[in-house]
Order: sequence, then structure tokens, then C-alpha cells
Amino acid sequence: MKQSLYESEKQKLDKLSSFKLPNYFKKIGWTIFGVTLILVLIFKIIENPNPIISTICKKGMLVGLLVIALAREKVEDEMIEKLRGKSFSAAFIFGVLYALVQPLVNYFVGVTINSEPTTYSDLGDFQVLWFMLFIYVMLFKLYKRIA
Amino acid sequence: MTNTIKVERAILDMTQEDLAQKIGVSRQTINSIEKNRYVPSTVLALKLSQLFGKPVNAIFNLEGTD
Repeated sequence: MKQSLYESEKQKLDKLSSFKLPNYFKKIGWTIFGVTLILVLIFKIIENPNPIISTICKKGMLVGLLVIALAREKVEDEMIEKLRGKSFSAAFIFGVLYALVQPLVNYFVGVTINSEPTTYSDLGDFQVLWFMLFIYVMLFKLYKRIA
Repeated sequence: MTNTIKVERAILDMTQEDLAQKIGVSRQTINSIEKNRYVPSTVLALKLSQLFGKPVNAIFNLEGTD
């Protein structure tokens, strides 16, 4: 009984952690990411953008990258699974380091360049998540190329 | 770890793509195994062993650094 409960929980967890979208979602993900990235860049140039649209575009970028990350390869075999694992772990570590170091860099650069007092501020969730997902997608591409 | 997959494949006159399709992996995975860049799982090693009709030890060899 105890064993079967453990097995059932393990199966559920395995199913959840190995969830993948069909391969064609990769194109959808890149399209969402590309369109929202262009819009975000336009809103950086145009003065006083609508904050709601700007927020939706930023979330759209995250959704696009997440869809790319979850999209299945044409042949999803054990080597691809291993490369995914390596890319995810490296992206996670880089993400944490980025969240810790980047605010300090911003602060010290601010102190050095500005004569006015600079305040220390942590990165927002968007910046950290964007960085982690982007690093994951790029590392996965790189690992696949050199595999 | 070294392996003789390329030789075994040549004996059976199979391309990397043929072998990949037979054991359900990508051609890139076969290429990586042949070039010793990727060490396959036990399941994959056994599939190769079954296909080539030789024991796993005859296909894969440990090196001094392993």
C-alpha cells in the first residue's frame, strides 16, 4: 500500500516535470517573443507609453520564452533531456548570480558616475525571469549545436 | 569510454539515420555517441546491443580515465 502510494506520487511528479508542448509551439513561442520584444523596444522609444500595454508586452515576452522552453524537439530523446537539464541548471545558477550581483553593479556604477546620491534597488521579477529564460533558451541551442 | 558503433553500423550497412530510427533517437544522438561526446543510458546501450547482436561489453569499452 505504502509502495503503491509512493509509486503513484512519483508517477504524477514525473508526468508534471516532463510536461512538454508539441513541437509546433516553438514557432508560436518565437512569434510571441518577437512581436512583444519589438513592441517593448518601440515603447522604450515612444514617450509616455500606455503602462498596461507595456506590462502586457513584458508578460508576453515571458510567455513566449516559456512556450519555447516547453516546446518538444522533433525527436525528444535522452540526450535532449540531458541537455535540457544542463541548460536549466546553468540558467538557474546564472539567474541567481545575476539577481545578486547586478543590483550591486548598478549601485556602484551609479555612485561612480553620478554626483547625486544613488539608492540601492533589487532587480524586478521580470528582469530576473527574462534573464533566466533567455539564458536557458540560448544555452540549450548552444548545447544542441556542440553535442 | 570508446565504442565500435560506427564499425557495427558499417557491417550492417546502416546510415546514422537508419540506426537512429531503429532505436528511437535522433541522428544527432547517434553522431554524438559515435564521437564519444555522449554516453548513452543503459537502456540505449542494451537496444544497440540487441540490434547488433553483440554484448554491450563488445560495443562499449572503458578507458583509463573512466
